[in-house]
Amino acid sequence: MNLAQAEINQSYIVCDILLNDKMRRRLEILGLTIGSTVTIIRRKPHGAMIVRVRGTRFAIGADLAKGLELIKSEVA
Amino acid sequence: MSVIHREFSRRVYQSGQPLTVAFMGSNNCGKTSLFNAYTNKKFHVVSWPGENIERREGKCFFHEQEFKLIDMPKLNSLTSGTREEQVTREFLRSDNVDIVINVVDASTLQRSLYLTIELIELGKPVILALSMMDLVEKRGMEIDIHRLPEMLGIPAIPISTLKHRGLETLLHAAEHHRHKHLDHLEHHHSSGAHCHDHHEEFAMVYSDEIEDNIDRLINELVSDYPQVTKQRWHAIKLLEQDEVICKRYPLVISRLSDMAGHDYETEMINQRYDFIDEIIDECLVNKDVKSRRTDGIDAIVTHSIWGIPIFLAVMALIFFLTFAIGDWLKGYLVIGLGWFSDVVSSLLAAVHAGEFITSLLVDGVIAGVGGILTFLPNIFILFLALAILEDSDYMSRVAYVMDGLMSKLGLSGRAFIPMILGFGCSVPAIMAARSLEDRTDRLITILITPFMSCSARLPIYLLLSEMFFGSKAMLAAFSMYVIGLVTAILVALVLGRLLKREGKSCNSLLVELSEYKAPSFRCILAYSWDKVKGYLVNAGTVIFFASIVIWLLLNFNFSGMVNDISQSFGAYVGKLLVPVMAACGLGHWQLVVALISGIAGKEVVVASMAVLFSISNISSADGMAVLLQALGSFDFTALNAYCMMIFCLLYTPCAASIGVIRKETESLRWTVFAIVMQLGIAWTAAALVYQIGSLFI
Repeated sequence: MNLAQAEINQSYIVCDILLNDKMRRRLEILGLTIGSTVTIIRRKPHGAMIVRVRGTRFAIGADLAKGLELIKSEVA
Repeated sequence: MSVIHREFSRRVYQSGQPLTVAFMGSNNCGKTSLFNAYTNKKFHVVSWPGENIERREGKCFFHEQEFKLIDMPKLNSLTSGTREEQVTREFLRSDNVDIVINVVDASTLQRSLYLTIELIELGKPVILALSMMDLVEKRGMEIDIHRLPEMLGIPAIPISTLKHRGLETLLHAAEHHRHKHLDHLEHHHSSGAHCHDHHEEFAMVYSDEIEDNIDRLINELVSDYPQVTKQRWHAIKLLEQDEVICKRYPLVISRLSDMAGHDYETEMINQRYDFIDEIIDECLVNKDVKSRRTDGIDAIVTHSIWGIPIFLAVMALIFFLTFAIGDWLKGYLVIGLGWFSDVVSSLLAAVHAGEFITSLLVDGVIAGVGGILTFLPNIFILFLALAILEDSDYMSRVAYVMDGLMSKLGLSGRAFIPMILGFGCSVPAIMAARSLEDRTDRLITILITPFMSCSARLPIYLLLSEMFFGSKAMLAAFSMYVIGLVTAILVALVLGRLLKREGKSCNSLLVELSEYKAPSFRCILAYSWDKVKGYLVNAGTVIFFASIVIWLLLNFNFSGMVNDISQSFGAYVGKLLVPVMAACGLGHWQLVVALISGIAGKEVVVASMAVLFSISNISSADGMAVLLQALGSFDFTALNAYCMMIFCLLYTPCAASIGVIRKETESLRWTVFAIVMQLGIAWTAAALVYQIGSLFI
């Protein structure tokens, strides 16, 4: 599943980033790396969302979110 | 003389060289205000050769040591992704920089430390300046100032630019650490299996596998390129497969083929963040208090239904305050100006000054410059409100809230930030478009930002709407903002269709939403004062000269000074364009002259009208009555006034904006396009309103 399909308030671990190199690099520098934990705080229907990564909030556009592959985190 | 002081003096005597300090930091970290505090705002802007990237340079003295200070571009990292990062990194590595001061917002330590780690790895002496410490305290957090330097190996100095605290200590530390790379490091790690434990030497130590590879790379590097210094940094960059560095040392990469194909970079970034987490755990106490409050506010202002209405209400409130309170204050300035103008007139009469001088001063300078100064309160309030939006970081929420609408235009929500800033002044707004990643997005944003009605256009609306729309004046003025916004949206749609590549619809909104800050009153005031000062300086220079030039153009022709203004140079030029402007209801040479002069700065339109109709106090009731009478003499009705407002809103941006469009697009073609397009749109819109309006009135 990807971030666009994820549920609110559930922790996920990023397992793959399917975006071009430039975008991927940008996300990684902000701490959104493979292996990092993300939680969606708020989202618009079919639109952008606010996520928490490493103690910081980011607003992420829908198309970017589709490129972030996730697996459910064991720790709730 | 103290021991330390003696030592300083001796060093000065020995070297006499200025110490070059580079200031590094991300957005809103307080870097620029720190730089301003040291240099007393005396600096010059320098561009890197062949690049559209700037730094600011200034100097200061401390204990007889000269410091050359450099305010570097704002960056979140140094990972050579953008040209700006590459240029900055090369510059920091060069001999041009002795020491780096890394300014971080102590209230957002977690996200700021990534750059710090990169700077430390770069190998130059680094000093951490912790700004916004008062905010940290206010939020009930605590930073362990003793532990932080132990973990990073560099001095950490709390500063407050506003209260002027820590500034001397910071320079003192810079002076002392100029030759030192890392201080004593203390980590709670058991020695790893790695053949040598690096925790004593480096702040950032990676996993054993990565450290082994770094060691191998250093060995290879030294054997192939013996002259290379800062070997660890080079090895780290080679392992990350940094494009620039790999190209520079191709031999090393070719020999270590077993490392290729493995993505060490992600692992290294992860490990750096792990280290940051470790630092935060040990050095930051009570970090959760603030984030709960931010989440609470966000739940309201970023609500999926209420987000947009709340934003619109905020903007409406801003404009209401700008118009209502601004006008109330303006009244007093108008009275003051009237008094001043009378005093000058009677003084000039008392000393029997010639008609030439009296007319130049009263009808030219006081009318032009004074007329503009009366709008100061409106502009101050507008900037104050925008500063609060920016400083509290509500602006990044707006990017999120507006993302849905903006993505329908093919733009990211982030493009909305320059547009809002455009309500203040187009120049910084156009520059703010730099933060957009995509080139086409950036271009479109630059081209539509001037349609957002800037504060310089405000005097035109206020004057005309008060004269012609009576009780609906505020509504008429407010409608300009709406028309500007709608035009911007339509232009973005059309340009989007024309410019976007096939299949490119990637909505790449990516904005950090930092914790809300209660805006610091002094900061906001300082910011707004800065803007108002800019407006004042503009009034004293551009408008001052424009008023004189217009006065000259209107009072002279080839045969000398004229009595009848309609025989002047100005009238002659204006009359040439009258046939074109007649379709917009603006077919009078005086209006044409006023509009042409507005290219120097939009507020000049008002100054010019004052000079054109020789009204010494244009925004007073008397002044308006005179203007109304003058305009009435050539059938200038409310409809014409409205067309004038629309034309002023949309036509060619001011000279300063044209300059910045040229610089930011790096293209003369697009600059000319912007000028022609806006002129065309302004003419078409005004003509449409005038022609359709004429049918009903």
